[in-house]
Amino acid sequence: MSLLQIKNLSVEFGSEKNPFRAVEGLDLSVDQGEIVGIVGESGSGKSVTMMAMMGLLEGQGRIVADELTFDGKNLLTISARERRKIVGKDIAMIFQDPMTSLNPSYTVGYQIMEVLKVHQGLRGAELRARALELMELVEIPAAKTRLEAYPHQLSGGMSQRVMIAVALACNPKLLIADEPTTALDVTIQAQIMDLLVNLQKERNMALLMITHDLAVIAEVAHRVAVMYAGQVAEEGSVPQLFRHPVHPYTQALLSSIPEHSKGARRLVTLPGIVPGQYDRPSGCLLSPRCPYAQERCRNERPGITAHEHGAVRCFYPLFEKKEAP
Amino acid sequence: MFFFILRRLGVLIPTFFGITLITFSLIRMIPGDPIEVMMGERSLDPALHAAAMKRLGLDQPLYIQYFDYIGNLFQGNLGASLKTQQSVWSEFTTLFPATLELALCALVFATVCGLLAGVVAAIKRGSIFDHGVMGISLTGFSMPIFWWGLILIMLFSVQLGWTPVSGRLDLAFDVQPQTGFMLIDAWRAEMADPEYNAGAFKDAVMHLILPAIVLGTIPLAVIARMTRSSMLEVLREDYVRTARAKGLSPARVIFIHTLRNALIPVLTVIGLQVGTLMGGAVLTETIFSWPGIGKWLIDAIGRRDYPVVQNGILIVATLVILTNFIVDILYGIANPRIRHAK
Amino acid sequence: MTSISTAPTAAPVEELAAGYPSPLKEFWQGFSHNKGAVAGLVFMSIVAFCALFAPWIAPYDPIEQFRDYFLTPPAWADGGSSQFLLGTDELGRDILSRLIYGARLSLLIGLVSVVMALIPGVVMGLLAAFFPKALGTVIMRLMDVMMALPSLLLAVAIMAILGPGLVNAMIAIAVVSLPAYVRLTRASAMTELNRDYVTASRVAGAGLLRLMFVTVLPNCMAPLIVHATMSFSSAILEIAALGFLGLGVQPPTPEWGTMLASARDYMDSAWWVVTLPGLTILVSVLSINLMGDGLRDALDPKMKRAA
Repeated sequence: MSLLQIKNLSVEFGSEKNPFRAVEGLDLSVDQGEIVGIVGESGSGKSVTMMAMMGLLEGQGRIVADELTFDGKNLLTISARERRKIVGKDIAMIFQDPMTSLNPSYTVGYQIMEVLKVHQGLRGAELRARALELMELVEIPAAKTRLEAYPHQLSGGMSQRVMIAVALACNPKLLIADEPTTALDVTIQAQIMDLLVNLQKERNMALLMITHDLAVIAEVAHRVAVMYAGQVAEEGSVPQLFRHPVHPYTQALLSSIPEHSKGARRLVTLPGIVPGQYDRPSGCLLSPRCPYAQERCRNERPGITAHEHGAVRCFYPLFEKKEAP
Repeated sequence: MFFFILRRLGVLIPTFFGITLITFSLIRMIPGDPIEVMMGERSLDPALHAAAMKRLGLDQPLYIQYFDYIGNLFQGNLGASLKTQQSVWSEFTTLFPATLELALCALVFATVCGLLAGVVAAIKRGSIFDHGVMGISLTGFSMPIFWWGLILIMLFSVQLGWTPVSGRLDLAFDVQPQTGFMLIDAWRAEMADPEYNAGAFKDAVMHLILPAIVLGTIPLAVIARMTRSSMLEVLREDYVRTARAKGLSPARVIFIHTLRNALIPVLTVIGLQVGTLMGGAVLTETIFSWPGIGKWLIDAIGRRDYPVVQNGILIVATLVILTNFIVDILYGIANPRIRHAK
Repeated sequence: MTSISTAPTAAPVEELAAGYPSPLKEFWQGFSHNKGAVAGLVFMSIVAFCALFAPWIAPYDPIEQFRDYFLTPPAWADGGSSQFLLGTDELGRDILSRLIYGARLSLLIGLVSVVMALIPGVVMGLLAAFFPKALGTVIMRLMDVMMALPSLLLAVAIMAILGPGLVNAMIAIAVVSLPAYVRLTRASAMTELNRDYVTASRVAGAGLLRLMFVTVLPNCMAPLIVHATMSFSSAILEIAALGFLGLGVQPPTPEWGTMLASARDYMDSAWWVVTLPGLTILVSVLSINLMGDGLRDALDPKMKRAA
């Protein structure tokens, strides 16, 4: 059984009468020890999905799903108190901008120790030792002095390491990394990514990597889900999906990576942007931008259908289509 | 931190001299002949006039007058009241505890209620409670406090007879001013002579309630509004989301991670209220016949007692800038980003 | 000839206007979204109307004393007379008429003192922003000094020196509210000065005055307008406070605060003498502050997004 199982998840914002669906009919499963990537443009519902799952939407969004289980616990019916025992302990999350994700008023040490205190009840010297151990685990140099440092005294890379230390404090089964390197310098990005992957291997935890950078996914992930306008457009194993994308959107995304557009491949570009609240088309959500759109695409919404290597949400997936040289 | 304090001091000192310049010029900006205005006589005997000019140093060139003024200030000589002949400083020190007691009670009332209302309104944003707090605080902010005082007196003192109309204590009690704080003095007197002074403390409290509410109304409104908006701003911060993602209890998220940061701007606003309180004291003390420095200054203006007006304002302004200085330092302590700045 | 040549170009312009609401319309949409602001606007419009047409609206002359009608209660109360809707004061003067004429004074003093503070405040603020080194420091230190004095105390001190009276009250209130304008203008001008459009204008050779008043100032207007509204309301409060202390407008001139100065003596006998002028002040000030909130919502795009 999967560690995390999401079936037909929808998240709605706004009024009952005029709702905006940020996430629609999303299926996702993550197994233990697996790295799953979620890619998509900004506004495609990647982060909202994770926030909904962790109960971080603070009653602003309405969450509907057929199934939302983590480690055998139903997250839909669980009480807030029970959820808080899982969140931060078994599911941990790190965010895009480490500089603003740490509380400026408390020392780094306090913010690491806080989780240990709340979830594991550690106290005194044991608490401090464990915090130090965590900081060394995430390769923070001079960990002892850094324990007393305030967030504004750290660089972005160091802050993200602290965030990872906080996240790993209680040995989570699932770590969600929401664009963990986007806000960092290019040189630091690789370091953080290596750290995350190494830690994942070492501890055999599941890692859910949210990003808009396909190159990162190609390097580290086992499976990937491509999201578009709140829906999963295509899902599959990384080698398969990168070699043979069958959804027009995936294809377009891939061709935007320089390595992939090398050679004879035709560069597919999609004009336009992800539809917002007011301009959602009645048919397939990609239909206004899709170069292969047919009459049916403009009138009907495609469902997600499984095929031998994964799943795709398209009436006319590009299975047989071989690119003209 | 040391440099931070030093820098603040660097602002404080010129401000103080600026204020001395203003109070110095006050008396010299009186249209017409200052001696005639002060003495309240039209055709004063020229010899007397010249003597008065000399006594007040008004026959010297302006810059000498100013240096004399500053020199006197640093010797602790703040002049004497034209009416009582008492030194301005000693009059101030006898009356100040009354104002301080009133202002402190008003500030405590405003801070406690304002913070509570602001925090709850922010947490329950958009609820009826939130709208109620915002509506009431805007009304409080718009309140002509002298009228507010009259209305409260009319309601609670005249109609219901719950609270006394004016003053600090009923004359029936035998209370010696020791600390100058009536609550403490009355408490002590009641302890010392429980029979004769029974109920003195309660009476002092009853005298204090209405003036403290009136004086605290505007600060209360300002603090409530500021707390709410500051809380809402911090609640949107990434680190609050982090705190929730850590699985912390809502109380911990609000009080440890949100309020601590939201309080930083509120603290400054509370500090700025000291000025409002001093201004408000003028009105509140006039309405409630509260024998403090606000009433003292207004009375001095009424009888054209210029030394009192001049140096009374200087003392009050100095107090205000000193409080703001202290608030600045506290702000630095509360905010590590400033504390560590060089 | 001209009509023919302009006709084709006029059409697309109109089309565009249909797509994007005009700034005024957009402003009104933002403002009217705030119900309190609209209520405030309605009330202040009524007050302004009364102030403008006081001689025709007020039933009596505000200083006329009806010797047979001392302290008559309002029309709806026991012993009231329909002759005096809101009753009469201790000298038999009609309170309604005094309130209506009082609106004139309050609005006039408020308006004049706002203008008297706004213009020098903006100029000094811009100067402080454009010359931050020497001149800016001097101006800001001066403002610090003025901010250190509690505003009412400073106003009282100024009145003590200048003597009571209408014009002096305006001056005192304008002086007291000056520092806030200077600081606000300087702060917003400083942020604007770092923007690229200012650099562009500078590179294009715009002179200092042009930079100050044409390039930068219009972009600082939103917070200034909001603040002017708020300081208008505090001006009304301060005039009333000065009047109450006997330092403002002198009797028998009808002024809201002055009307309350002697009201203390009638607390147990004539509640209307105490209640009505203060209530008028409160509701007027509240209305203006509500409008200020609405203006902020409508003018400040940052606040708009947050809401």
